[in-house]
Amino acid sequence: MAGRAALMSTPFTAMLQTLSRQRGVTAALVVSESDGIVIDSNMHIGQSGDKVAALAASLYKKARLSARAAGMGAVSFMQLEAPNGRLCAVGSGELVLVVVAATAVNVGLVRVDLLRAAVELAEIAKRGGAR
Amino acid sequence: MNTTVVESWIEGPLRQFLDDAGVELALLLHPSGQVLAQHGFARSVDVMSACALAAGIHATSGELGRMVDDKPFRGLHHVGATRQIFVAEARSPRGAYIFLTVFGSESSIGLVRLYFDELVKGLTVAAPPEGPAPEPALAENFERDLNRNLAFLFGRA
Repeated sequence: MAGRAALMSTPFTAMLQTLSRQRGVTAALVVSESDGIVIDSNMHIGQSGDKVAALAASLYKKARLSARAAGMGAVSFMQLEAPNGRLCAVGSGELVLVVVAATAVNVGLVRVDLLRAAVELAEIAKRGGAR
Repeated sequence: MNTTVVESWIEGPLRQFLDDAGVELALLLHPSGQVLAQHGFARSVDVMSACALAAGIHATSGELGRMVDDKPFRGLHHVGATRQIFVAEARSPRGAYIFLTVFGSESSIGLVRLYFDELVKGLTVAAPPEGPAPEPALAENFERDLNRNLAFLFGRA
């Protein structure tokens, strides 16, 4: 894992570490939905967090707007399945929590952890920790 | 939206950037302020003003960077109420250019930065391998060259 956590701790550090401990998870990122910029991340060395963040935030935003336009309400959990992996995301206000994982990951567990983390994200944002 | 270029090799990478990043306006210009490509502008006078301002911003931020960090800042991002602006240097084998783009809520700074890097790579690949690099703009030729490029972009060549 990248050694960022050893250098500094943010309000998101514990949450990202919990998600990254799941078998098959290769990256966990907190991203600004409107800017597509990484706020904090926990990822394997060599992965491009900036690219994943920008594209995943854009995807999540479009999914959220599509769901609203279709009268489906708010997006609670988004999952993208690809031949070589999965991308899961949940949002809370301006923040999006993104997990990149292997195909064989236990999606149920990731989903539970992400939804739990989304509640935590909302509390952090309320306290002003995202600023 | 209209996209026009002065040099044809710029068109491919620029169109790719526009498709991917979803920006509203884009300009590629020489650091002297002479326009090389534009997207989304309706009037040549707007391009002329934007080029002059972008060249000024680039020169100013470059000097500030040299003062603060011993090297010029390479990019600038400014957030407005509804639109955002991103100005950065795009290096190619033909020399350094300035790229300016304006985007709204359809895009994001993360996407713009991501696809700007792709644009620079695209320009590097597409740049003609031979031929002299563009000559530096001289004061006596500046207005003539600027007007020629604007006329080319807006169909009055």
